[in-house]
Amino acid sequence: MLEVWNLRKVYDAHGRRVEAIGDLTFTVPGGQFACVVGPSGCGKTTLLRCAAGLLPATAGEIIVDGARVTSPPAGLAVVFQEYGRSLFPWLRVRDNVALPLKAQRIARSRRDTLVDEALAAVGLADAHTAYPWQLSGGMQQRVAIARAIAYQPRVLLMDEPFAAVDAQTRADLEDLIRAVWRRLGVTLLFVTHDIDEAVYLGQRVIVLSAAPTRVAEDLAVDLPADRDQLTTRADARFAELRGAVYAQIQKVKTGRTEP
Amino acid sequence: MKPTPRKRSLRSRFRGGPGRVLLAVGLPVVLVAVWWAASAGSTDFYRPPLSRILVAFADTWTWDRIRSDVLPSLARLAVGYALALVGGVALGVLVGSSRTVRALLEPLLEFLRAIPPPVLVPVFILLSGLGDRTKVLVIAFGCVWPVLLNTVEGVRGRDEVLSDTCRSYGIHGVLRLRHLVLRSASPQIVTGARQALSIAIILMVISEMIAANNGLGFTVVQFQRGFQIPEMWSGVLLLGLLGVALAGAFQLAERRLLGWYHGQRTGRRER
Repeated sequence: MLEVWNLRKVYDAHGRRVEAIGDLTFTVPGGQFACVVGPSGCGKTTLLRCAAGLLPATAGEIIVDGARVTSPPAGLAVVFQEYGRSLFPWLRVRDNVALPLKAQRIARSRRDTLVDEALAAVGLADAHTAYPWQLSGGMQQRVAIARAIAYQPRVLLMDEPFAAVDAQTRADLEDLIRAVWRRLGVTLLFVTHDIDEAVYLGQRVIVLSAAPTRVAEDLAVDLPADRDQLTTRADARFAELRGAVYAQIQKVKTGRTEP
Repeated sequence: MKPTPRKRSLRSRFRGGPGRVLLAVGLPVVLVAVWWAASAGSTDFYRPPLSRILVAFADTWTWDRIRSDVLPSLARLAVGYALALVGGVALGVLVGSSRTVRALLEPLLEFLRAIPPPVLVPVFILLSGLGDRTKVLVIAFGCVWPVLLNTVEGVRGRDEVLSDTCRSYGIHGVLRLRHLVLRSASPQIVTGARQALSIAIILMVISEMIAANNGLGFTVVQFQRGFQIPEMWSGVLLLGLLGVALAGAFQLAERRLLGWYHGQRTGRRER
């Protein structure tokens, strides 16, 4: 479970004060797949970095599985947007996935099993010995996802993980992450700027306002659990939800001048 | 998708395979030939024909000589260089990781770096005598700077996303040092180490010229003082060859250590 209570984040640099997050409160119950969308510059990444314990909040608190976040919590994994920079270029794929497990002092045989399973789950069973830079962008992001899976997190945070891959790869990765989530039962907070992606993936879409950020809308996605790129996206309900989120984002964008 | 076969350009054909060897060896061969021709029949005492220098080379650098003069030089070089590498990287990691340490040490390091190392030979002789220790210290002190400064830069310039990755996946301590800090800095460390190697060779020779009773630098000066001019030239040649051999060994080590780095850069250019 991930709780965000009255989160506020103000950047204070070089005499310039930027209020990235105004007052943000929401709760993602255990096992839920929640997507966060918002206009660009609305502090989505800031929210995620605060939740990951990588950035201290100015006020408010974030609670992961009952414990207040002050530093990166155990049992929480992050998949970053910049896959090319989040993998160790000097380690082979297998060692990249295994390194966090080594840091946790997990015994070698168990480690091997976890790495094998994770790489198989993302369809990279035959890429163990490659270096990340020998793989395509989509495959690199698969490695990053495998690393998160092998870590066996209770909470998984993803920061626009598919923003930098091409459309077809993106569709594949979306289905992959749905499958992974259903199999692991992990609590997933997925940040994206893509409305379609948010509705297609999530059980719930949290729409953020422009900065200083608040929750503008919290929408349950009542699409069936079995989703498919063709039928789900053609579903009338999908279009309806997509329209609702779109309208909300337009509203917060134009409403920026209002007090 | 199959990569389309491309016709290899003349340049790429020259860069790989026999063409490359030809390019690398061509100019030295030409220069040696010019030297040989120009010096043939020379009666100038100080500029003997190359043929005489080569004869002197074979006569001078016998196994005994190698054991008594070349190996001691190489040992000093190795120990001094190793000290500089270990010290430079260790201090560099420390300085690069902490803003406080950097602010504290930077002025001092700038001052020490500005001292030309040969000046320290007499000082070190006073402090630690005429033995090997002085030479090793001079070498280490002289060539630690490029290693140190490049390590600092490398450690400071590590990728933020990768640092965040380490933090969120609980990669701390030795694992972090090994897999994040040192590895990210390794391209810069290698650059510093390469500069340090040539400085180390220079300082090895200089320290032996000033104060030694064996070694390459000592031997060359002895030949010069004894007017054994072809022998002196042969010593210079040997030093040059040694430099080339060490640079080659360095390149081999670099290729092993930085395979990922060069691979990544090539991959990026092709994409």
